[in-house]
Amino acid sequence: MNRAVLRTLVASVLLLALAFVGGAQAQKLVDIDLWLLQAVTEAGPPPDDWVGYQIIRDKLGINLKLTLQPSSFSDQDTKISVAAASNTLPDLFGVNRDMLVKIAKQGLVAQVDSLLPLMPERTKTHYSDPLRNKLVQINKKMYGLPDPGAMDRVEGLVIRKDWLDKLGLKVPTTLDELLVVARAFTEKDPDGNGKADTYGFGAFYESSSLATIGFGRRFDYIMGAFGVAGTWNFESAKKFQFNFRDPNFRKAVEFIKKINDEKLIDQTWSAPNKDEFRARWKQGKFGIWWEQFAALSTKANYKDFDANFPDGEIIPILPPKGPQGKSSNGLDQANARIYAVSAKAMKDGKGPYIAKLLEWMATDGYYLLGFGVEGVNFNKDAKGYITMEGIDPANAYSQKAMQPLTQLRNMVYVNNDIELAVRYPTYKSANGKTMDPLAIWKFFVNSPYTQALGSQIIDPPSNVNDFTRFYNENLVKFALGQQPLNDKTWNEFVKGMDKLGAKEIEKTAKAKLIDAGLLD
Amino acid sequence: MRKIKSREELTFQIVTNVFLGLLLVIVILPLWRVFMLSVTPFKYSDDSFGLLVSPAKWTIEAYSQFLSHPSFLLAFRNSLIIMFGGLAINLFMTVPMAYSLSIRTLPGRKGLNVLVMIPFLFNPGLIPAYLVVTSLHLQNTFWAVMIPGAIGIYNMFIMRNFFAEIPIDLKEAARIDGASELFVLFRIVLPLSLPIMLTIGLFYAVGHWNEFFTPILYLNSNKLQPLPVLLRNILMGLNTNEFVEYDAFSQVSVQSLKAASIFITMLPMMMAYPWIQKYFVKGSLAGGIKG
Repeated sequence: MNRAVLRTLVASVLLLALAFVGGAQAQKLVDIDLWLLQAVTEAGPPPDDWVGYQIIRDKLGINLKLTLQPSSFSDQDTKISVAAASNTLPDLFGVNRDMLVKIAKQGLVAQVDSLLPLMPERTKTHYSDPLRNKLVQINKKMYGLPDPGAMDRVEGLVIRKDWLDKLGLKVPTTLDELLVVARAFTEKDPDGNGKADTYGFGAFYESSSLATIGFGRRFDYIMGAFGVAGTWNFESAKKFQFNFRDPNFRKAVEFIKKINDEKLIDQTWSAPNKDEFRARWKQGKFGIWWEQFAALSTKANYKDFDANFPDGEIIPILPPKGPQGKSSNGLDQANARIYAVSAKAMKDGKGPYIAKLLEWMATDGYYLLGFGVEGVNFNKDAKGYITMEGIDPANAYSQKAMQPLTQLRNMVYVNNDIELAVRYPTYKSANGKTMDPLAIWKFFVNSPYTQALGSQIIDPPSNVNDFTRFYNENLVKFALGQQPLNDKTWNEFVKGMDKLGAKEIEKTAKAKLIDAGLLD
Repeated sequence: MRKIKSREELTFQIVTNVFLGLLLVIVILPLWRVFMLSVTPFKYSDDSFGLLVSPAKWTIEAYSQFLSHPSFLLAFRNSLIIMFGGLAINLFMTVPMAYSLSIRTLPGRKGLNVLVMIPFLFNPGLIPAYLVVTSLHLQNTFWAVMIPGAIGIYNMFIMRNFFAEIPIDLKEAARIDGASELFVLFRIVLPLSLPIMLTIGLFYAVGHWNEFFTPILYLNSNKLQPLPVLLRNILMGLNTNEFVEYDAFSQVSVQSLKAASIFITMLPMMMAYPWIQKYFVKGSLAGGIKG
């Protein structure tokens, strides 16, 4: 009897042990390979012992393998191209729209409409903007997940208020008034140092894609005053065309030529260099320029200007009205950080796991991925806003050493009030003035912009490099006076654009925009 | 006659020195400009700082920013591994191939030369190379960066020509005494080939040290990224992180950081070159004289 009981006990223990081991083995982890668009390019990935990996393993049954994408878009495209060509795309990867369209047409990227119901909260906060969703649609099917990108309307026109006050000038509201102010800034020594070393306007030639060819965004307020900001006229299907065909476009180019000829603009403008441009406004080289609100006014970026000019004051102003009363601060384009799911991953049944991961990120994982560990890297106040009270400053999530912990933050940020309040706090300048970056942003948000979502959807032509080079070189030469600007040369320029396929591009783009519901 | 000769020689010497001096200025000036940019304090980041400013006004903040970066030492180590590991593989593969092709009596030598010329003339491109590396499961390892370019065919040709010029009698004498080909290679040919080994080794080493594109393609893990990739990420990040709330690299201008990154990358090669320069010209010329 005792032996029987003993045998039964041993057998039960053995069976329990087997069940435990079997159960553990049954929780097989699913590998998800994620190529991340990193938030801070030089900070590196989260450490191997990052708590997020463990939580994702335990709660979601996912073994997350993270790879940081290269920092430049061209390197990213090359890496994805090569992976696509060899059919080794990762399960989930960040990609720009042009590349997405290319590989989607090759059948290497999965449709993701079926994943949206599996992540209802994330869909509500991330994928409910119909305009942003259009960026990833091909034939009305979504081939990517468009996470909210950078904030909208973050750039605009600013002026040195202290220079205006010193010269007894008012804030200009029209292009003519702006010209008068610029002339005064150039000629009347607004910084009072006895040297003729200041200019009215500051800018640099910044053409980066088909949507922003020409002089680039830094000149959009001038082009916008003539009603021709950006590459295209999106007003209606009837009016849709390249802006260079509009007679006002030539007038805008003539205006830029005028300010260059009269040396009212910092003469370094034709050499594209953002770093140099930013250094120069911090050195007080010019008084009117177009800038991104955070690059202008956050503590880290403003401090050098503050050190050089403690009594200096920069204020945002509305873009000037042109001869026909039009004005624009720049282009209003939807932007998104797009993530795509490879067709292979979907075929392997990883779609639901990817949806589960993304849903967790947007809900339970929001604070961890966005700000770190509560109580260590941040705290929350009664309203749920982020605060550093009670946190060791060395561990604050904003410290350089902590950046790897929040490398995935761009997968969870939605530009809500919580994020903005902590990202752009107020602070005191050298002379005790309260600086509020968000106030500048809100000013820009309420300024006039030119709607240009369609430019994100227009596919670049095969000869886009030649096309943009011809366009840009001619405009810059006109403005610099290296090429005379008259009827003959302008017509030659327009003919040259047509020879490079401008009419065909317009036709194709128009059809696509009408089909996407972006042109009426 | 002697006076004329010495006058001619003097004139020639003066002209040569002036010419070389001008060349030196042309080379040194941009380098010096870049160096000055790397030590320029932020408020002088335009041309006003000049080229002849006292060192008391210099700042080493840009170098300090890079060197104190948490990933810098790791990236530096990775670059050293890739350079030395790659160099060892390069020489291990190139030397035997060059030596065997230098032996005129090698059966099928002409055919082998043709086979070698084909990949030299016709590059299959990136995708086939990527497919080979991934099918061998080399991605995310240093092997993916070191192995694919194991034999630089141009370098191999230079080395082959050098080996061919070594007096055949030396090798024959050794063979007659019973030496094997390996013995001849390691005990007779290689000791005489120091110039070419150092020259070709330098070519390979510089190539590996500056390796950038292949690591981006094959090394997914940040722990494996070499110095050029880290520096590029830092510099690219400066252009996009303007509205990040932490104080990243804002103590110096981006131009200073770019200039500092050039010097940091150049420094190891600049330090090694004086030791091997006396062999460099000899090696470069010797291998290139005849085919």
